[in-house]
Amino acid sequence: MVNPALLLAVPLALAFLIPLVRLVARGVVKWIPVFAMAFNFIASVLIIPRALEEAIVTEIGGFPAPFCINLVAGPLGSILSSFIALIGLLVAIYSFDYLREVPTAKYYTMYLLLLTGATGIVLTGDIFNLFVFFEILCISSYSLVAYQGNKAGIEASVKYLVQGSIGSSLLLLGIGLIYGQYGTLNMGDLAGKIEGISSPSAFVPLVLMITGLGVEAAIFPLNAWLPDAHSSAPSSISAVLSGVAIGVGLYSIARILFTVFGGTALLETLAVIGLLTLLVGELSALSQDDVKRLLAYSSIGQMGLIAFGLGLATGEGVTGGLFQLLSHGLSKALLFLSVGYMIYRSGSKKISDLQGSWKRTPVASLGFAVGAFSLVGLPPFIGFPGKFLIVRSALLKGELFYTVLVAFVLFATVVEGGYFFRVVQIIFFKGTGGRRLKREVAPVSGLIPLVVLMLLILIVGVYPGLITGLIDSAAAELTARSSYFTLVMGST
Amino acid sequence: MRDILSFRGFVALFLLGIIVAGISSAVGQIPFGQPDSEVGQLYLENGLQDTGAPNLVTSVVAGYRALDTLGEVVVLFVAATGLSAVLATSKRRVERELEDASLVLKTGCRIFFPLILLFGAYLFIHGHLTPGGGFQGGAVIGSAFLLVYLGCSGRRVSADAAGAIESLSGFGFVFLGLLGLLVGGSYFLSNFLPKGDLYELISAGIFPLIYILIGLKVGSEFAGIVDSMIEESK
Repeated sequence: MVNPALLLAVPLALAFLIPLVRLVARGVVKWIPVFAMAFNFIASVLIIPRALEEAIVTEIGGFPAPFCINLVAGPLGSILSSFIALIGLLVAIYSFDYLREVPTAKYYTMYLLLLTGATGIVLTGDIFNLFVFFEILCISSYSLVAYQGNKAGIEASVKYLVQGSIGSSLLLLGIGLIYGQYGTLNMGDLAGKIEGISSPSAFVPLVLMITGLGVEAAIFPLNAWLPDAHSSAPSSISAVLSGVAIGVGLYSIARILFTVFGGTALLETLAVIGLLTLLVGELSALSQDDVKRLLAYSSIGQMGLIAFGLGLATGEGVTGGLFQLLSHGLSKALLFLSVGYMIYRSGSKKISDLQGSWKRTPVASLGFAVGAFSLVGLPPFIGFPGKFLIVRSALLKGELFYTVLVAFVLFATVVEGGYFFRVVQIIFFKGTGGRRLKREVAPVSGLIPLVVLMLLILIVGVYPGLITGLIDSAAAELTARSSYFTLVMGST
Repeated sequence: MRDILSFRGFVALFLLGIIVAGISSAVGQIPFGQPDSEVGQLYLENGLQDTGAPNLVTSVVAGYRALDTLGEVVVLFVAATGLSAVLATSKRRVERELEDASLVLKTGCRIFFPLILLFGAYLFIHGHLTPGGGFQGGAVIGSAFLLVYLGCSGRRVSADAAGAIESLSGFGFVFLGLLGLLVGGSYFLSNFLPKGDLYELISAGIFPLIYILIGLKVGSEFAGIVDSMIEESK
């Protein structure tokens, strides 16, 4: 059996080695993230069957919980860590030739640490440890956004840094209040100790923590940094930030709200905030003429949709939310990688400059179309089952309140379809206009991840049953608070 | 003043008031000064027997919550790497007139540099016995290199050497943790070495090793940060 601690230890050890390897054999450096993420993917997938039987709780250092930090690899943690590793692996391959012009050893170090931070967040069972991994994720994101050293990137990175740091401070403040009040940091222990969220001693830290995490999860109105950061970063980084990082932020909100606090009273609020985020994101995306900004706003909208699904809090709604989290990750990664490929060739991020890309970069154009159709929620792509589950479970609630909210969700989907179809039309049905390209040849290594992602989106879209069983258990883990407590603390 | 009196200022003050009221009501609920914290109480009572480190802060930092410490080491590593990456790509040099260091600074630098290094090393080697530890010792060592840049102009740390120490000691930390997984009862970062006699320099198992690695890492990291900042202004 694989110890879940290895999912953190191996990538960390390799990340520390990168500067040394660079001195000895420069060419090996780019293989290190690929190797680390391949290891994490295989190990996480091997963990899943055992985690489905019973979540694996690992005490770090060998002291009993709640006195140590523990890792909890349940269905949710192991699914998300395999997902992170999969996207990480594909984007690492994409980066091979995409970043030929800039110093790469530091890029790969920070890239690997970003993914390790995300893996730590989904595996940890301790709220302060969550904060530490959050810092790793955020700080590596700040520097990767500014990695190309151009003015837009640095400005976006500073905005992100300022807002992210305020978010982290709020999170830390919330954690401090929790520790002062309950004398423990262990999520399972806290789940047994926090009885309701009506007293200020529970409610205030909850609000502080959710606000802090909300910055990273891009929940309205905390998402002002995202369009700049995700559009100015190198496309490979945008793919990871949009596909993995914000999803992980939303996961932490769900974990804190459901497991630690049992805050069922706040779920309607989460659904409404989710809907607002969805509407703001999609409507802003409509008026963009920079394709990467368009994708960034669409990410905000999608986060809103996922939050809406989680806020429904029925088994099927949470399943839908988590399914959408994965499907958005795959689709958005594919979109950013395809767009990055086209931009690499054309040298321009303007939507109007993408016209006729179908003739020049057919695979990337196809990738864009698949990703866009999937996000809009057309069958047979992976985006369809997720959206379908969310809408269905909201209607099954049978309350007027949710029916009205669903109407808005469907309206947002129409808007989403509007702007994505416009871009697809420009890519496929307009002539090239005889414009000259910045580069004639694009790297072949960039095509492998595009093809793999397209296949995944199609296969899981046609056979959603492949993963819905897994996600059902993950959703059950998230909503069953008392069994999480028993799992970590024992039956006493 | 006009800003505060405007509508936006009023709204901001109002919201700030809500936040202050909320946080202070939550802080008011915390039982300060009472041994209510089960976890903290256990650390105080059992820390010495569990870990063999008389400095109980160390028993928490390197023992009970060692994963957090590893995480913090990584945070610093990311920050240093990110800083040097961003400074390296934005190729903007600030032209500045450099003044020679005064006689006092030059002489002081020569005399104090080795002493500061020694003090930093003392702090992290004795971290499990006396106040201090890897981060503190490392920061002191970093300050020694800052003094070199101020006083002994022209002398530089080799960036490659600093980077090599940094990555070796970071790797060493994870490697110690993995050894714990292999040797010491299948727990990552477990204290698998014998605890030895209390208050001896060589005691508390892997804690001194962890602190030495952290000290080296933090020291070389700070030296590297100072170096990339100097590079920027030359």
